[in-house]
Amino acid sequence: MVKIRYILLAVLIVTVGIVVVFYFLPSEEKKVRKQCHLLSEGVLKSPEENAFTMLQKMKNIGALFDEHCELKAPSQSLSGSYTRQEISTYAGSARSFFSQLDLKFYDFHIVFPEKEVAKVTLTARLTGRSTAGEQVDETRELECILKKIEKKWLFSAIEVVEVLKK
Amino acid sequence: MEPTYHDGGVNFCWRVPYLFSGPKRYDVVAVRFAGSRVMLLKRVVALEGEQVEFRDGKLFVDGKEVKEHYVLYPCNWNLPPRWVEKDCVYVIGDNRNMPMENHYFGQASKNRIVGVPLW
Repeated sequence: MVKIRYILLAVLIVTVGIVVVFYFLPSEEKKVRKQCHLLSEGVLKSPEENAFTMLQKMKNIGALFDEHCELKAPSQSLSGSYTRQEISTYAGSARSFFSQLDLKFYDFHIVFPEKEVAKVTLTARLTGRSTAGEQVDETRELECILKKIEKKWLFSAIEVVEVLKK
Repeated sequence: MEPTYHDGGVNFCWRVPYLFSGPKRYDVVAVRFAGSRVMLLKRVVALEGEQVEFRDGKLFVDGKEVKEHYVLYPCNWNLPPRWVEKDCVYVIGDNRNMPMENHYFGQASKNRIVGVPLW
């Protein structure tokens, strides 16, 4: 009788353990979303931001990208292949034009077309104020490819979807 | 879409009209711009296979000037001729009272046309 009780207890512990692991261990989808949120955090800028924070954020943004990343933005002159370092520098330069900046992502649609490749379609909304005092509020649909490199999901391509082609 | 629809107004999108047929010329349509929530209201001015251009603010489709009674504010846009691709329509807003570069318009895939405003 005592033996059965121990077996039942062991089964219960194992079951609870499995549930806890599945519940708390982040899925690949959650990890991909987290990378997007980290990008949002990197772009976020408040008027009080100091030089140290700015440099840290530039570094953080660069760390989210693959060694080479393809950018495709039909209406802007950004299209091309950039190194991690170039993206970091470009992000820093772009942020310097704004006194306040906020990037939010919505409507995530994540698929895994191949092993260790994630394709994310999402809505990006960039709001803020330029240093000249102009209000910025832009919304676009983005298609991002992230690759899992050394257990990290890194952006390897970002395309601004061209909905209206003049 | 001023003056036909005012900025900040509330409307509903009626999807039924395009379940069995495609958008027609001059229809005001909701274009899915980003995700499932960001929509633009635009007017269909040309259909697939047609040629669109602007000359001094006047719209030409297949070389013929289109009289646009719904446009109240004149513009001076110039856009070289271009063909509307297969399964696409050409959409423009009614408010042309701005530089062409600042106006969202162009060829949109029919898949992006969600429906028509309810009123």
